[in-house]
Amino acid sequence: MSETTDLAEMTRRVAQREELLGRLRKILIEHLQLRREVDELDPDAPLFGSGFGLDSLDAVELVVCLETEFGLRVNDPTVLRQSFRSLNTMIDLVLGHAGPA
Amino acid sequence: MSVERELHALRTATTVTPGDHVARVKLVGVGAADLLERVSPRALFVRTGKMSHTLLLDEAARPLADVYLCCDEDDFFILAEGLTAADVVAYLRPHATDLEVTFEDLTESHAVLSLGGPYAWELLGELTTPDVIGLPYLGFFHAEAFTCFRGGKTGEYGYDLLVERDRLAGVRAQLADIGTRFDLVESTLATQDVAQLEAFFWNARRQSPVGLTPIELQLQWRVTYGRAFPGAAALAERRQTAHRRAVLLASATALEPGAPLRFGDRTIGTVLDAAFSPTRGDWVGMGIVERAVAHSGLELASGAAAVHTLSAPSINNRSLHVDPQRHCFATRATDVFPPLVRR
Repeated sequence: MSETTDLAEMTRRVAQREELLGRLRKILIEHLQLRREVDELDPDAPLFGSGFGLDSLDAVELVVCLETEFGLRVNDPTVLRQSFRSLNTMIDLVLGHAGPA
Repeated sequence: MSVERELHALRTATTVTPGDHVARVKLVGVGAADLLERVSPRALFVRTGKMSHTLLLDEAARPLADVYLCCDEDDFFILAEGLTAADVVAYLRPHATDLEVTFEDLTESHAVLSLGGPYAWELLGELTTPDVIGLPYLGFFHAEAFTCFRGGKTGEYGYDLLVERDRLAGVRAQLADIGTRFDLVESTLATQDVAQLEAFFWNARRQSPVGLTPIELQLQWRVTYGRAFPGAAALAERRQTAHRRAVLLASATALEPGAPLRFGDRTIGTVLDAAFSPTRGDWVGMGIVERAVAHSGLELASGAAAVHTLSAPSINNRSLHVDPQRHCFATRATDVFPPLVRR
């Protein structure tokens, strides 16, 4: 792959992640009633505990949102624990289950 | 003891680390909560036995210290990294002139021992009482020989023990005795620093250069906007203009703090901090890059080093998967956990 193609691919990935970040931030604010502005939701910040303070009920809501918003059904608790750490890990989860672009 | 062995113990068993670098201060008096409300960037919603994790900022909104504010009836303990206890008191005192509060610098009277690792809860249970399993994150309690604060900056179970100096030898002896059953390893601050980088957990002693604020460092979760606190005006201004963000880096080649990061032929930022991760077998670091490209999954370069960006953390912390109701140190070999390394 040429350097130009590499850069084009990287640019495409940035756009893809930025779009997903926006959608997930919206879910946190609109579905989980997180009282934060969009720009406050840093992509690597912890979602649970001391971070944005989500709890186990929010986790259930997030599972539902993943299915309704992204058609993603995840039942494995190990995967969920890892993927619900931050917005970035949630984006990884969504991209990992996405079909070829 | 090597960093590699200490990190392995932290990621799979238990460690104890002297906390000489942790500033410990007690605020005594009914004005303590009001004082902290004035200086904490985060609204102080804590009741007794609970801790708030926040920052102390300068007027330019640069984070000076990583702090736990721990409510003990009217009083508060402060555990801080990045400032000395004397500096913490000097920071607070001008905001307390009209308040009924006194400052106790606990540096000479108390030591800090930090327990860490996926089985630190079990070790602590043997040291105190099995009830400790129920201690929530950011909670604390007074035991006979120390006060125990549950925090942690490495992604593993973490407990800071605030021990009176004249009881330290006794607690050390107990730990040495019980620790043999948990492969307890004495760890150093250098190892903790690597562990924090692996976890992408901000390090106040290494990652606070002039010019960065909680916005660039992805620490806005420790801030409640709309409140008055030192640095609030600068932070509000930066919010309108911020164009950089921290990203987690990994590279097979050594990363140099201060070195430029390139995206194609364009310089997009710099390496802020880096260290070799024995857990992963490569280098991990924190970079500060243009916000427009501050995402994981990218291939960058720094000098001759190929660098890729990751979603934090860079490892699968075993503590995330060790459930005190189902797991214990004795069964660790047969319990099934995800691999430690995330790629």
